[in-house]
This record gives sequence, structure tokens and C-alpha cells, in this order.
Amino acid sequence: MMKDKVVAMLLAGGQGSRLKSLTYTIAKPALPFGGKYRIIDFPLSNCTNSGIETVGVLTQYQPHVLHEYIGLGTPWDLDRHNGGVTMLPPYAEIDGIKWYAGTASAIYQNISFLQSYDPEYVLILSGDHIYKMDYELLVDYHKEHEADVTISVLEVPWEEAGRFGVINVNDEMDVLEFDEKPENPKSNLASMGVYVFTWGKLKEYLETDNLDEASSHDFGKDILPAMLKKGEKMVAYPFKGYWKDVGTVESLWEANMDLLDLNSGLNLHDSGWRIFSSNPQLPPQVITETGNVQGSMVNEGCVISGDVSKSVIFQKVRVEEGASVSESVVMSGVTINKGVNLHRVIVPPRLDVPEGFQMPEQKDEVVLLTQEKLDEWKERGGK
Amino acid sequence: MNLMAVVDASVKKEGLQDLTMQRTVSSVPFAGRYRLIDFPLSNLVNSGVNTVGVFPTYPFASLLDHIGVGKSWDLDRRKNGLFFLPVTQRDGGLSSVGAFAALEEHMQFFTKSIQAFVVVINSFVVSQLDFKDMLDQHIRSGADITEAVSGGVSLKTYILSKDLLVELIQTHRDKKVVSVEDVVNLKKSPHTFNEYEYKGYFAIIDSVQSYFQASLALLDEENRKQLFLPNRPIYTKVKDEPPTRYVNGSHVERALVANGSTIMGEVVDSIISRAVYIKKSARIEKCIIMQKCVIEENCDLSYVIADKDVYIGEGVVLHGTAEQPIVLRKGETVTKEDSR
Repeated sequence: MMKDKVVAMLLAGGQGSRLKSLTYTIAKPALPFGGKYRIIDFPLSNCTNSGIETVGVLTQYQPHVLHEYIGLGTPWDLDRHNGGVTMLPPYAEIDGIKWYAGTASAIYQNISFLQSYDPEYVLILSGDHIYKMDYELLVDYHKEHEADVTISVLEVPWEEAGRFGVINVNDEMDVLEFDEKPENPKSNLASMGVYVFTWGKLKEYLETDNLDEASSHDFGKDILPAMLKKGEKMVAYPFKGYWKDVGTVESLWEANMDLLDLNSGLNLHDSGWRIFSSNPQLPPQVITETGNVQGSMVNEGCVISGDVSKSVIFQKVRVEEGASVSESVVMSGVTINKGVNLHRVIVPPRLDVPEGFQMPEQKDEVVLLTQEKLDEWKERGGK
Repeated sequence: MNLMAVVDASVKKEGLQDLTMQRTVSSVPFAGRYRLIDFPLSNLVNSGVNTVGVFPTYPFASLLDHIGVGKSWDLDRRKNGLFFLPVTQRDGGLSSVGAFAALEEHMQFFTKSIQAFVVVINSFVVSQLDFKDMLDQHIRSGADITEAVSGGVSLKTYILSKDLLVELIQTHRDKKVVSVEDVVNLKKSPHTFNEYEYKGYFAIIDSVQSYFQASLALLDEENRKQLFLPNRPIYTKVKDEPPTRYVNGSHVERALVANGSTIMGEVVDSIISRAVYIKKSARIEKCIIMQKCVIEENCDLSYVIADKDVYIGEGVVLHGTAEQPIVLRKGETVTKEDSR
């Protein structure tokens, strides 16, 4: 258990518009992942496993599924008398509703929540990243360096560095520069969007930033550069391990495929660092006489009578005899009927893919199947 | 709901000794991810019964660990809920369901509750009994005691009024009766009886053979459809196991598999529990492999029941029969030399 008072603020309001219809009705952190999880299970479980017992979850875009899913926080042992999980959607005040304009304004508007716990350190997390991380080590590092803010960084391939907030450091890991999505990155250390702040400093900068009308109220664009400018002690914490920001249909698919690769560094079969999740009460999965499953992950409540290879199969999926699924992600409650062959497809929850359905012409790319595509196929007379 | 429940988890079954060295019959693992008690407890909550007393005898540690405060069944309630009522009594009644001497140790459970009827159930019958329907029929019949039966077989499940049960508990010594089951089985009785005919799936687990048969019978889709009803789920203690991983080169045919396992070898006609590891070139046929077993490469097993945490070393060959499956006890380590 952590000795210091750390409150985690988990930013979970993201839309994820490049995930298309997958996030029309749910926020990105609520996206199903890995056969039984939602992405937010990862940061929440990291909190549990790191001994962080007070977590605020900031929601804004399509919050209902998230609120219902997290509930009292029971699956993550966050249903507590002191602390635990608190859902923090935007709220109205006398002078109107205060929407969260940026990541920093989301935290600013919940200053009174933070103040009520009077923490020593505040951990800022993102609800849409897939990774396993011990935040206690990060907080220890922050203390050892007597930093005002510590940014967790990851070495990324040089060609991808421009997609991230890039951190330039000296040999002592002091941050010298912070470039948000630079065209010509000077470093390949990317910010993971995971920060530890000493509470007093964070409060001071949030209050100043709030008064700045030119600010976009964003940690990466405004708060961190302002702190750097004022010469506050900012250090980088080198994280090693699997980390993925799932932003597109393609990267969601990739992250799922990573689970099937024993060398990807993302191991869910690790009893020392479990990823907790809400567990529906379903019977065990069944592989029937005609079923054939290779190199895949399958969740409870499934009945597999067809061919499944290199795929991630969520709960309550039926793959009928004479159907095949390969290199695909099939979400909960889907039925794949006879004669359907899916390759590199993400099938969203509860689709019933009819007998004989053929995917439209598809090369090597990953396709998101939708009800509209099934309807169009029917309108064409099943061709 | 005007019905409360006594779950008799104290009945011992000699035939299940190998699986009950360190647990009660009620906590014997079943169907990959359940314990036997999950079925009666789920039937109770699915029938709207939420005052439930569980009466186990020693060794009940595994049962207590499993049911806890009843959270998995929504029985962790302010009002009513789950009552864990261990019984010390060791003589007489433990072979029949609803032993009065055992219930007598917890009279408060009956006197403090407000329900007028009690259903007395056991934890060695797996079924989808609907106690609400049974209670309605009991009341309509006007009989003193209703017994659930299926095709002439007793399911050792009884409904009677609380007043009658309390009277029987208080007077059983004078009346020379030991249990509710005993009262029902007596030829001469001052009471009137009624039978409730149950039509769904059931299995009576009272020996290793019946356990083995009932388990493998779940590979039959018809049985699964009757036992796992979408609107009457079977609840159990949840574990945060990841989905099961089927590695390239594995072969799985007619198998019931729980989460958290890794399968690299061949599995046919078998039940695989949570977090089992079956390595390359191992072959499992007609086996029941419980939680966290490890089966090393090149093993060849058939008609084997491996209890929790069994380690089967490389190249072990074990062949039991349908009549006499080989039972490996909890935590056992088996090496090549033990092959038979």
C-alpha cells in the first residue's frame, strides 16, 4: 500500500472519432478490448495493483456506459469507505454548465474534489491507454528527484515520434523541452500522458491557466510548457514495457493481435498483475466436435463450431459450423453463421452475421463490420 | 417472498471421499467454473428467495472462501441475505438432508425471520428447480410437506411451513425422527405429503462415478441448454481470469473450457477448469481437469479426474475407465513412474 496520499485523476472523456461507429455511443475508454475487458480496466487495475485507493474518473463524451460499468468500483476494489472511485462528469453552477474545455480544465473544475482529499501528489492518467504500470514506482521516482512534475515517457521509433508529445532531456532526465507533436522531433522519448504532480504546484498552475484566455487548457500544450518556462523541476520517468494508445480501428485491431503474440510484452496471464474487469456470469466456453480454434483467445459463454484462428473472441459469441474467422476481433454476443468467412474484421457487439454473407472486396486492410454493411448486403439480394 | 431456505451443506457422501478430503460436498468443483453449491444458491435467488441459511460441517474453509458474504448471488444485503451457520453436531443426521440436531443449533435463524415457509435443500443435486413454482404448488396442495421429485427420483428438496419445521426440530427426539428427509421417508406419519414433479435437467452427485458421468454429460448440448438458462443464470464467485488461450497446434474437440487456461495440446471430450495449463503434445481424453492443474508435455490421460493444483509431469500415462476413473487428489504431483 502507498504510504503517501496520492489521488489519481483518470481522464475518460475522450471521443475517439477515428474509431468510427465503435465510439458513436460509448466513450473511447469504454471500448471493448482483449476478449473481456474495456480499455479503462487497464488504468483502473494499475491503480488497484499500485495501491492507489482514491480515483476520480472524469467523463464527458457519452458517459452512460462508463458510469454504469464502473459503478461503485467493486471489480477494482475501489468501493471503499474512504476514497474509492468517484465519477466526475461536468456539472452546472449558478452561472451555467461548465463543460471540460481541455484536459487541464477538467482537473481545474474538480479542484474542490482534490482539495477535499488534500493529497500530496496527484497522478494524471488517461483512460484510453493499454499498458501495465506500477504507479508506486513512478511516485517514488518523483519524490527521489524532488520534482514538481514527473512525466512518464516511452522510447518510440523515431519515425513515429512526431505523433506524440516529445520530451528532450539531459543526462539526469531533467526535461529541457516539451514539443507537442513536432514536425522534426529532437528526441524519441514520447510522453505517455501519465503525470505526477506535487499537489500544491498543480493547483497553482491550474488556477493561473484558468485565468489565461489564450490557453487551450491542455496539459501538453499549456500547463507543462508554462511550468518549464518558469523553471519548475520537471523530470522524465523512463517507462519500459508495452503501451498502446488505441486511436484508430487499425490500432485497436493491432492491440488485440498483440495479445496473441507471446512476445508482445502484453501478458494477461499474469496473476501478479491482474487486469480486473466486470465479470458477467456465463457458463464455460464450448468447443464442439466441428470446432477448430488455433492461436486465439476465447472468452466464457462462447460456442465455437466453426474455424477460428488468430482471433480474439469476446463472451457469448457463436461461430457456427461452416463459418470461419481469422485475424479478427469478434465482440460480445455476435453470431457468425454458416458460410461466412471473416478475415481481418472487427465485429462490433451483438451483430448477427447472416448465413452466406460475403464481405465486400477487401485487400489487406482491417475492416469494421457494421449493421449497415449487413443491411446493404441484404438489399443487394445477398450478393 | 414468503419463503426462506435451509441449504444443508453438511451431508457427507462416502463415494466422494477422494474429492472431499479438504472440503465439503457443497464446494466440490463442477462444470469447469462452478462449485456444487452454486446451483442451489443460484436457483434460490433466481426464484426470489433471499433469506438463505447455509449449514455446513467441518471442513468448511473452502466453502466459506467461496461464498463469503454471498456477494456473487446478491445475498450481501442489509435486510435478509446469507447466513453462514456451521454445525458442530456429528452424530446421527449427517447422512440425510435437513438433520434436526443440526438445525437446532441455529434456532434463531428460524425464530428471527418472518417467512412462513421453508425450503430445505441439499447441495449434491444439480438442477434448475424453481422454488417459487414449487411453493405455489405446495400451498395449493394443502399438504404438510412437499417433496421435489423427477421421474420417480427424489431430489431431496422439501417445502414445509416454518411452524412445522420448528415443531419437528423441537420434538424430534421424542418422535424418533432425525431429519426432514427421514420424516418424509417414514411409512407411518401423522403428516400429509405432496410431490412436486420437476421436469428439467438434474444430476445427483453422490459418488465419483456419478460425478464423472454428470460432468461429461454436459458436453451434450441438450443438457447444457437445460442447465444454463439465459434468464436463470448460475452465479459463482468471480475470478479475474483472462480469456482462454488456444495456441497454434492445439486440438480441442467437444470440450467445456473455463477462462484463464492455456491449451497447447490435445483435449477431447473433457472439462477444463480455470487457469489450467496443458502443454504441447499432451493428450487429454474423457478427463475432468480442475483449477490450476499443470499437464506437462507428452502426457496421455484418459478417464482421469485431476483435483485442483495437480501437477502431472512429463510423459505421464494414466488410463482409468468410465466405471473407475482415476482420481488425483488436490495438490498431488504425478510423475512418469506413477503411470498406470
